[in-house]
Amino acid sequence: MELYLPIAELPMNVFMLLGMGAAVGFLSGMFGVGGGFLLTPLLIFSGIPPAVAVATVSSQIVASSTSGALSYFRKRAVDVKLGGFLLVSGVIGSYLGVKAFTRLRELGQLDLVIAICYVTFLSTIGGLMLTEALRAIAAQRSGRPLPVKRPGGRTWMQRLPLKVRFSRSKLTISAIPVVLLGIAIGFLGALLGIGGGFIMVPALIYLLKVPTGIVIGTTLMQTLGSMAFATVAQAATNQTVDVVLGLCLMIGGVVGAQFGAEVGQKLRGETLRALLGLLVLSVGIRFAVDLVLTPADVYSISFMSGEQL
Amino acid sequence: MAGLARVVAVAAVLIAALALPARADKLVTALSNDRVSITSNFTGGQVVVFGTVERDSQSVSRPENHEVVVTLAGPLTNMVTRRKERTFGIWINRESERIRMVPSFLAIRSARPIEEVATEAVRARLGLGLDMFPINAQTSLSPPARTEFETAFIRLMQENGRYSQMDGAVEFLGADLFRAPIALPANVPVGTYTARVYLFRAGVLLSSTEDELVIGKVGFEQYMTVYAHNHGVIYGFATVLVACLTGWLAGILFRRD
Repeated sequence: MELYLPIAELPMNVFMLLGMGAAVGFLSGMFGVGGGFLLTPLLIFSGIPPAVAVATVSSQIVASSTSGALSYFRKRAVDVKLGGFLLVSGVIGSYLGVKAFTRLRELGQLDLVIAICYVTFLSTIGGLMLTEALRAIAAQRSGRPLPVKRPGGRTWMQRLPLKVRFSRSKLTISAIPVVLLGIAIGFLGALLGIGGGFIMVPALIYLLKVPTGIVIGTTLMQTLGSMAFATVAQAATNQTVDVVLGLCLMIGGVVGAQFGAEVGQKLRGETLRALLGLLVLSVGIRFAVDLVLTPADVYSISFMSGEQL
Repeated sequence: MAGLARVVAVAAVLIAALALPARADKLVTALSNDRVSITSNFTGGQVVVFGTVERDSQSVSRPENHEVVVTLAGPLTNMVTRRKERTFGIWINRESERIRMVPSFLAIRSARPIEEVATEAVRARLGLGLDMFPINAQTSLSPPARTEFETAFIRLMQENGRYSQMDGAVEFLGADLFRAPIALPANVPVGTYTARVYLFRAGVLLSSTEDELVIGKVGFEQYMTVYAHNHGVIYGFATVLVACLTGWLAGILFRRD
């Protein structure tokens, strides 16, 4: 059943959109990530203009993080103060991201920047995740436990000024790295159409030493807020949010996520991390290959505003 | 029902045209519809340009000499063509050229190859043909010299289905009556279109006509687009609300804890 998307200005098959939403939702439910980094490229590869894809995926991430954030709130596994700090700085970052997005589109370099960012972040994080998980699996096979790194210990980060106490996380840290992290994630989120959970979670655990039990709920709160802001900002400045497309992806996504979560609970933590690492890494490599291979056509056309034809 | 009314209207125009006292070889044309509505199930459409040649009573019947060229042009737009170059191992957009004042859609239909219908000089003056239509609003009496970027632009627009030039696509139903169907792709740009019909004989332009066609979204699609453009902030908030509701509902429906 073909459905004409009013903002993207082209017809798409509803079942294909629902299916894409469900497939990405399944993976995001399984791995506990937002899935924006998979959904945005998938939409672009299937013909949706990149500007519409990035802006609309922001709204889909709002839907997929709402149910998660609510359930973590009920379990009281959210540090609202830390989340608030990250959220406010995330909104600032989102605003800058939307501005950069508009400017890069006019210059015709948006696709390049998106591709380079995807290659850099996805390859690095995917690679790290995969090696860490494989090492854990190997250690288990050989029966030797891995040396556990004690979180804590004074690092350069603890010596920064502007200390703030986050009582829920039992943490007193400088506000500077927290705010910088929020801005960076918000910026990347708006620019690349990703929630940034796959960067935020390791950053909170390894850089800020936030207790693992609180990390996911706090990340979801931040993702929800900054993506809601990104949606409104994209709608106001670029008019590229397609609510019909968004709704199809949301419905597919939330249903898929439920099944994904069930499968995810049956798999071992290491296996899950290895698979996620492999997935993230392969999306990164896919973008790298496109950058290096000689394109089928060296010419491309776009509108003055930068919107690709 | 509307379709039937259209056919009747077109037929009426054609009958009236045939019945009129003829002075010189002239054209009377009509469109199968003067509005194409884009609704939620739009997957492309078609518009048919109908016409008849109104004969000069003095001229002897020489229907084989008449040549008709039909064009349908979308609203003018400004575009950019970019060229990628390998830089430090990766392909980056380097040089670019602005392509201003070009139609966002252009269909050219004729019975015979357009090069045989009229000479280059005649077509250059009229801007008739994919090799002749003006770019950057430059009209000249000689064929335009296209830059590499302009040539690439025309090629890419053809690949995208927005530009097309086809011969054998104007069908004569009788000696004087012709029809030219033009397919509109699903990604057809919205706006006001102009359908032009040119009548040639022995390479000389005898007459031409212009008809207007409006391609626009209607109903929900139209409402959404207008709302998204005029009230972007409210549209954004509404989208976020829909997203939150969807997520919240899913949380309730699938709640396990």
